[in-house]
Amino acid sequence: MRVGLACPYTWDVPGGVQVHVRDLAETLIAAGHEVSVITPVDDADALPPYAVDAGRALPVPYNGSVSRVLMGPVSATRVRRWLREYDFDVLHVHEPTAPSVGLLACMLADGPIVGTFHTANPRSKILTAAQGALQPSLEKLRARIAVSEAARRTIVEHLGTSAVLIPNGVRVAAFAGARPLPGYEPPRHTVCFLGRIDEPRKGLDVLLAALPELARRVPGVRLLVAGPGDVAAVRSRLDPPLRDRVDLVGLVSGEDKARVFASADVYCAPNTGQESFGIVLLEAMAAGTPVMASNLDAFRRVLDDGHAGRLFDVGEPAQLAAGLADLLGDDGARAALARRGRDLVAGYDWPVIVESIVDIYRMVTAGADPVSLASAVDA
Amino acid sequence: MTVVVAVVAVVVAIATYLTWIARRLDRLGVRVDAARAGLVAQLAARAQAAVALAESRGLVSLAAAAEQALAGHAALRAGASLDNGVEDTENELSRALRAPEVGSAGQGAPELLHAVDSAAARVALARQLHNDAVRDLRALRGRRLVRMTRLGSRRPLPAYFEIDDALPARGGPLGASSPGMGRPARVVPGGAI
Repeated sequence: MRVGLACPYTWDVPGGVQVHVRDLAETLIAAGHEVSVITPVDDADALPPYAVDAGRALPVPYNGSVSRVLMGPVSATRVRRWLREYDFDVLHVHEPTAPSVGLLACMLADGPIVGTFHTANPRSKILTAAQGALQPSLEKLRARIAVSEAARRTIVEHLGTSAVLIPNGVRVAAFAGARPLPGYEPPRHTVCFLGRIDEPRKGLDVLLAALPELARRVPGVRLLVAGPGDVAAVRSRLDPPLRDRVDLVGLVSGEDKARVFASADVYCAPNTGQESFGIVLLEAMAAGTPVMASNLDAFRRVLDDGHAGRLFDVGEPAQLAAGLADLLGDDGARAALARRGRDLVAGYDWPVIVESIVDIYRMVTAGADPVSLASAVDA
Repeated sequence: MTVVVAVVAVVVAIATYLTWIARRLDRLGVRVDAARAGLVAQLAARAQAAVALAESRGLVSLAAAAEQALAGHAALRAGASLDNGVEDTENELSRALRAPEVGSAGQGAPELLHAVDSAAARVALARQLHNDAVRDLRALRGRRLVRMTRLGSRRPLPAYFEIDDALPARGGPLGASSPGMGRPARVVPGGAI
């Protein structure tokens, strides 16, 4: 099948949607489909052979952070040329509510179009206000996919329509075979954390607050903390006797992320809010590292109500310390959690997820003409 | 002169707008037709998979429900409406598929059972795509301007297709929801009308 993927955000800037589009494209190609991605990019040399440059995106403040969007005659020309050149069986646009390539492609094309919604935003005034303007484009989508229950609810509430839930995929093989980092072979009494270290919602402070009690109960305990942010500032906040136990390694590459999990006995996700899915939890499970996570809606869902990982109440360091101490002291419980985690994450492996997505492609293309350019009166 | 130019401009603007709305209605009509054809194809695939399982395991009431559904599908392919009668027949088949003896007898033919469960999941998906298309078309047809200009009145207003297509809970290693069977672990068609 010839599949066109439209990615809204700058390819060479880290982000969940870009990673999703990349993994989807590569899994589809591995399954024998012909795929082309169109995406904004800063450095066109960074593009893989299957991707096409849509131009440079402009940073615009949106929803409390800076989004990079792309709309304009140059990009429109490039998207139109891309659609004409490739003659896709199905066009799959990502985040069609964002003012970028996904929405552009949706406006300019006609035929079997599928849209995936990534954002979960329970109170988006912008989305509600834009619904009328978006409707002519969104009504072209023959199938709508949401990557999480929260994203699905956002669509139902703001756009008055429904969506099929197909979760984000995980590259299970890439995580399963990783070696521990130097100094962590084999891991002993190590708890790892991944995420921005100075973003309160990621919850590093909750874990650090649990550390004194944890160190009292597990004398050899170490924390391996990976993620961007001001390392010196975090270190200076730690009590001197605890500093040796905390290893702050800063931002790590995708490959080293797998090694961070492999270096730890337990992965801790002490987030305090704003998580719509919890892909990192699945990555830890793929690596075979047991998970201890705060009891957020999204995390409870991913952890199968606590069967595939332990939960503690959001922002409760005492509970977290007790839970981690229990888990670090119980090899059998960790092995059981790792096993259940591996079973569960198998259902999220990209080849499995792609099968569901291809099912949808088949359904919307059955008997339909291929994707074409919409007539001028549409745009 | 100015008045003439203004009048011409307004007429052109209105004509362009109406053309645009008409194009949207056409496109939605194509989408509804495609979704309907997809739904009918998936209903047929489910009934055929059910017949295969019923014959292999000697499940009499499942066979009856599946044959009943199949009997109506030729008319649906020829364009008969997806009315209450069709909904009732397909509901019967859904219920028959959820009967406990289907799951237990199916353990003896896991591939056939798996085929039935996959087909049932695809029916749920196709029904959702159909109803989403119907909802979008009905929303545009319901706009006052469209009703006044009778732009959409060339074709009857399509109806939602409502059946109980909840998937059977099979449990055990061969269940519809178990990962590793080459089927999606958790594709959940969702969203209320």
